[in-house]
Amino acid sequence: MLKMILIGAVAVPTIAAGSVAATGVVVVDVREARNGQHIVVPVPLALAQVAAAFVPEEKMHMRLPREAQQYMPVAKQVLAALAEAEDGELVRVEEHNEKVSIRKEGDLLKIQVDDNGEHVKVQVPISLALSVLPESGNQFSASQAVWALQHARLTEIVNVQGRDGEQVSVTVY
Amino acid sequence: MRVRTLGLAGLSALMLAGTVGTARAQAPARKAWVHVRVEEANRQSKVSVNLPVSVVEAALQAAPEDILSHGHIHLGKMGKRDLSVSDLRKAWNEMKATGDAEFATVEDEDETVRVARAGNVMLVHVDKPSGKESVRVEIPIEVVDALFSGQGEELNLRAGFAELQKRRGDIVRVKDNDSTVRIWIDEGN
Repeated sequence: MLKMILIGAVAVPTIAAGSVAATGVVVVDVREARNGQHIVVPVPLALAQVAAAFVPEEKMHMRLPREAQQYMPVAKQVLAALAEAEDGELVRVEEHNEKVSIRKEGDLLKIQVDDNGEHVKVQVPISLALSVLPESGNQFSASQAVWALQHARLTEIVNVQGRDGEQVSVTVY
Repeated sequence: MRVRTLGLAGLSALMLAGTVGTARAQAPARKAWVHVRVEEANRQSKVSVNLPVSVVEAALQAAPEDILSHGHIHLGKMGKRDLSVSDLRKAWNEMKATGDAEFATVEDEDETVRVARAGNVMLVHVDKPSGKESVRVEIPIEVVDALFSGQGEELNLRAGFAELQKRRGDIVRVKDNDSTVRIWIDEGN
C-alpha cells in the first residue's frame, strides 16, 4: 500500500511537470531596483488555455476595423515572404537620445527601442504572428493568441529595462 | 520621434512598394533589396528602411482590389488640363523614338527643371539656384515602357515593377537645406 502511495506521489507531479513542460510555460520576471524585490510568475500555457475557455465568447474576440480587415491578406503575405527572406536590418531610426531597430533573424523579428535610458526589446517569431492573424473574417481570438505562444518556445519575447533600473521580462519556455 | 521623418520614410517605402516588383521567375532579382535613407542634419535624425524585393512583391500581389486591380492602376484624367494616360502614352512613344535628347528644360527664378533621356535612363533633375536643394530621379526606359503597356487610362504597374527590380543603383535622390532622401536597389542588406 505504501509502495503504491509512493509511486503515486512521484508519478503525479512528474506527469504534471512533464505535461506543463510539453505544452510550455510563460515566465514573467520582474526585478524592482529600489527595494530589490524579485518576482517570478510562471504561467503554464495549458492553464492559460483552460482559463481562456471560461471567458465568454464575445470577450474572447477582438473585432478588427474595416480598414484593417482589407489589409489582413497583405500582412499575411508580407510576413510569409519575410519568413523566407534573408536576415537583415529592416528599419533603423536614430534620433537624439533615441534609437529604434527592427531586424529579421531567422524566424524572429527583433525590435529594439532605446529611449533616454529606457530599453525595450521585443522578439516576435514570424510563425507566431502568422498564426495569430485571422485567415478570414474580422476577428482575432485571444485563446488562439495564447496557443500561438507555442511558436515562441525558448524565446524571451519582451524585455524592458526602465531608467530607474527596474527590469521586466517575459519568456516562453 | 518625429512624425515627419517617419512619415517620409513610410511614404518612401510605400512609393517603392509601388515601384518594385513581381517576376517570380527571375531568380537573381529575388535577392535584391530596396533601400530608403532619410537624413535630417539639423535634427540629428537618420531613418533607414531596407526591404527584400520579395516582401514588396508579396505586398503588391495581395494589395486590396480598390488600390490595384490585377496589377493595373486606373488614373483617368489628371487635373483640369485633361492630361490623360493615353495622351502620355502617345507622347512617350514619340519621345522614345528620338533617342538621347533633352525633352524639357524649364528655367525660372525658383528652380530649373530638366527632363532628358541619356542612354536607357530617363532623367528628371530639379535644381534650386542656391545649389542647396536638388532632386534627381533616374528611371530606366524599360520601366516607363512597361508602365505604359497598359490599355486606355491604365498604367501597368506590375510590369513596371518587374522591370524596375532589375535595376541596381540609385533611383531617387532628394537634397534640400537640412535633409537628404535616397532610394536605391542593390543586393546587400
